[in-house]
Amino acid sequence: MNFTTLRRLAALAALAAPLAAAAASPAALPRDVQARIEAGRPARVARVERQLRASATAMGLGPADALVADSSFTDEGGRTVIHLVHRHAGARVLGSQLVVHVEPDGTTRTIGRGLAAGIVLPGGPTITPEAAAAAARARLAARGPLASEPTVERIVFPTRFRSETFDPALGRSTVRRGSYASAATGLAPFVWAYRVHLEVRNALDGAGEWFYVVHGDTGEILRTDDLLRRATAAVGTGDGHFAGQVTLDTSLMNDGTYALLDTTRGTQPNPGLVYFADDGSGWVPTGMQVWWEEHDGTGASTWNTFLFQGNAANAWGDGQPLDLITYGNEASPNGQTAGVDVMVGLRTAWDFFGHVFGRSGLDGNGTTASGTAICTGFTQADNAWWSIGSHQGFFGAGTWPRFDDGVDAATDLDVVAHEATHGVTSPSWDRYFVNGAGYEEAGLDEGTSDFFSEMVEIWAGRAGGDPDDAVPATPGDGQIGRTFLRTGPLRWFDRPSKDGRSPDAWFDGMRYMDGHFSAGPLNRALYLLARGASANPADDTHSVYLPAGMTGIGNDSAARIWYRAITEYLVPDLTGSLTFDDARQAALDAATDLFAAGSGEVAAVEDAFAAVNVGPAHGGPPRVKVSFAPWRGVDWISLQYTDGPTRQFLPRGENLRPRVTVENASNTDVTWSLGGPSMWNGAEYFVQAGGTIEADGTWTTPYQMGWHAVTATSVADPSQFAEGRVSLINMDMDSDLEQDATDMAELSYSWYLSNGLNPSHSVYIAPWVDDEDVSAFVDALRTAWPVP
Amino acid sequence: MRSRFVHRAALASLALAAGCADSSSGPATRLQYVDPAGSGWRLVRDPASTPERLVLAIVGPAGLNTRGVGFNLRAPAGVRFRKFESSGWPIETTGVYELGNLDPCPPGDPYPPPNCVDPFPAEPVLLAGGVKPGNLLTVGIFQKDRRVSPKPSGVPLARIALDVDPASGLRAGAILPLEVLKAKYSPEDIGAFSPTPTQEQADKGHGVLFTLAVGTLSAR
Repeated sequence: MNFTTLRRLAALAALAAPLAAAAASPAALPRDVQARIEAGRPARVARVERQLRASATAMGLGPADALVADSSFTDEGGRTVIHLVHRHAGARVLGSQLVVHVEPDGTTRTIGRGLAAGIVLPGGPTITPEAAAAAARARLAARGPLASEPTVERIVFPTRFRSETFDPALGRSTVRRGSYASAATGLAPFVWAYRVHLEVRNALDGAGEWFYVVHGDTGEILRTDDLLRRATAAVGTGDGHFAGQVTLDTSLMNDGTYALLDTTRGTQPNPGLVYFADDGSGWVPTGMQVWWEEHDGTGASTWNTFLFQGNAANAWGDGQPLDLITYGNEASPNGQTAGVDVMVGLRTAWDFFGHVFGRSGLDGNGTTASGTAICTGFTQADNAWWSIGSHQGFFGAGTWPRFDDGVDAATDLDVVAHEATHGVTSPSWDRYFVNGAGYEEAGLDEGTSDFFSEMVEIWAGRAGGDPDDAVPATPGDGQIGRTFLRTGPLRWFDRPSKDGRSPDAWFDGMRYMDGHFSAGPLNRALYLLARGASANPADDTHSVYLPAGMTGIGNDSAARIWYRAITEYLVPDLTGSLTFDDARQAALDAATDLFAAGSGEVAAVEDAFAAVNVGPAHGGPPRVKVSFAPWRGVDWISLQYTDGPTRQFLPRGENLRPRVTVENASNTDVTWSLGGPSMWNGAEYFVQAGGTIEADGTWTTPYQMGWHAVTATSVADPSQFAEGRVSLINMDMDSDLEQDATDMAELSYSWYLSNGLNPSHSVYIAPWVDDEDVSAFVDALRTAWPVP
Repeated sequence: MRSRFVHRAALASLALAAGCADSSSGPATRLQYVDPAGSGWRLVRDPASTPERLVLAIVGPAGLNTRGVGFNLRAPAGVRFRKFESSGWPIETTGVYELGNLDPCPPGDPYPPPNCVDPFPAEPVLLAGGVKPGNLLTVGIFQKDRRVSPKPSGVPLARIALDVDPASGLRAGAILPLEVLKAKYSPEDIGAFSPTPTQEQADKGHGVLFTLAVGTLSAR
């Protein structure tokens, strides 16, 4: 992905042309100069909008289209960064956006992934917003009440972004493959749609927050995005007073008592708290604050939350491990201990981004961040997560010491800072990383949170004489979740595979992993960038992809490069399209800005990413690359990420032959094996290694249905491999021992019969037949036995 | 003697000009098809055929109503089954069958369209096919919604397309046997939906096997 090139937008070349000569602006400008430039930001935004309007026709935009500035800021070097969204007839065009950099000298650079040009979409949606909300609610099928009224936004939806939701509990997904979004099926490239936001927090449903894209004419669910950012279940050492003795910024309330409400951090109200009524206590939704979750006598959540308040002495916590053996003590000094830890974690992350990078709050706009501690019922006690819509973190109470094998409270600094960093990368509904299995972007999201969590810890541990606007050079612990499990950390930076699940380096197919584990290569790359890599194979920082090792550039430089990369280059477009290659390029662009082209820092970025098998080392040749390319005209494992993480279906019990591509090698032979590296240690327990595979790649698929993986490893370079995944289905609907198109007779007969009449007629193992079966059947037929 | 020789040469020129060269003299470039006799299920030449591409249509017996049809057809090496640009599949609808659902609401949904609780579109449809090993075409076209009425089937219901693989070395004049290995249609009577499973319902779900007549295919 070339971030500096706007494909299809030749007209923008003129706008972008001066960038080559634009001076980089790595150094912070004097504050008065910054202020002067900042004062001119609205004018620069207006100028960019004018320039884009003048180029609209050449960009393929029509009279109904507009590029509208959605947000902007001026960085410490004086660069104005403008985020523009594409609107058609006033409605947002999902996935179509531009980021424009305006340098202090006025030169302009566009950062874009392509605009949706040539939209022909007269009229508007024919179903009502209420019907769209009803469709989304039907899909959600919440058993309890919604936490807030649904919000519905009219949008233009490029149908290539349709996706699916996979329900591991059911073992099946809602299939909406792009393959039938074709001219033959009559589905246009753009459709009117509604973007519906739903949120639940109750005992029946737990906590959840989603965006649904609903077809504006048919009501079909075209896309689902999960907005919660959950950390993995784990807790720590069990001391329970992670923050130790601290000074807290609190608030004196109207009744003379105090609350964990820090009005010095946050200039904008918290979007999740603005709906609470003013109770006259002095509470306001603006200002960092920590709440607690209430439980009944059995330990079950009442689904009520309360601000930590009513403390007459303004002294919080007892420093002891959180002990919920006796429920009802959440607001007691022992319960307050968790609140103290969360408050310290949130404010430390807040201050880190503010002092080191000059960022206003987590979202860059001063929006209040909030936390809720002692959660048990929202999802689970052994967890922590971030809600994009409410800009809040939620932190589990843990299950220890209630249970001997339980885990500790999820309130340690690295956990809280990890979640708070999600507030940086995903500051709002309009800008967030897609974080589902199937997207490499998920690993970039979680890896960024891991990396800055480590930087926050190091920064928080700075010595008295260290400046607070830089990350000290001291090494961190190189771990994430060190206190969660009480037996060891959740994740390591130097060699992520020490957790038994995370890969140390990128491979094609890694995106199928949970983002917390596919984060491994990014964690390692950024760690090596800062700390260096050893040439000693016995060292945990040694990489077979960079055997000579490298010298690190230090924490501060690494942090600045990656912060600039994620805020100014690696801009998510709400479709999950960002890849590790994009991350490398963004880091190179950021390093070039900060340290100049040809600098040692730029070379270090190349080497650090090369060490995790992303791109060549500095001055090195291109890498051998193995990938599952589109197979016989269709996706072998849905590599076209713009289609979303749709899965590839194949029939069980047939002889099939996947096609793999080997680049940058004269010998393109591969060796085949069943299973894949993402299955390490049962990490992806639902994926199987089945059937037999011949040396020529002929795979006799097993009769076992469900997810299966195969791996191809380069003969020329055995360190290069790719994992392909498919979902095997039963196409023999009529049980005549042949899988062919005549089986569709049975499918049609059983369509939407839901009485369990034909349980064997589903392509899955389910007592019903619906459109998912239809899609899966025709996809498998197309893939297994394609017509040239 | 001389005049007779000239006469033969003139005939040869005439034949070449008409494109009817000696059947064993060169590589095949196109297919010729003679429809089968009879009025039952059969594959007939479709007017959409071109010199380069033979299009066959499946036609049912007059008076029979069906809800869909599928078959497996084997062709010898050198004959290629082709995709239709209109469908992206090796089968194309003639428009007789209604492939989508009758309305955007699932069967039994209490709300009228378009405001049913869980609306869904017409897509995806049961129109698909592929070529299995052994040059075996498998295609099917079926109405998926039992609320849609069955259709009179004594007309072209769907089309398939074939041509000559120029790299196959197929010689003009060769007779190319087509073999139907399986054919099945979905009948008019599929029974009423009943929450109580019955053997009759289970049997009807399998569809009806039938004999599909094919004509004579030859290379030209």
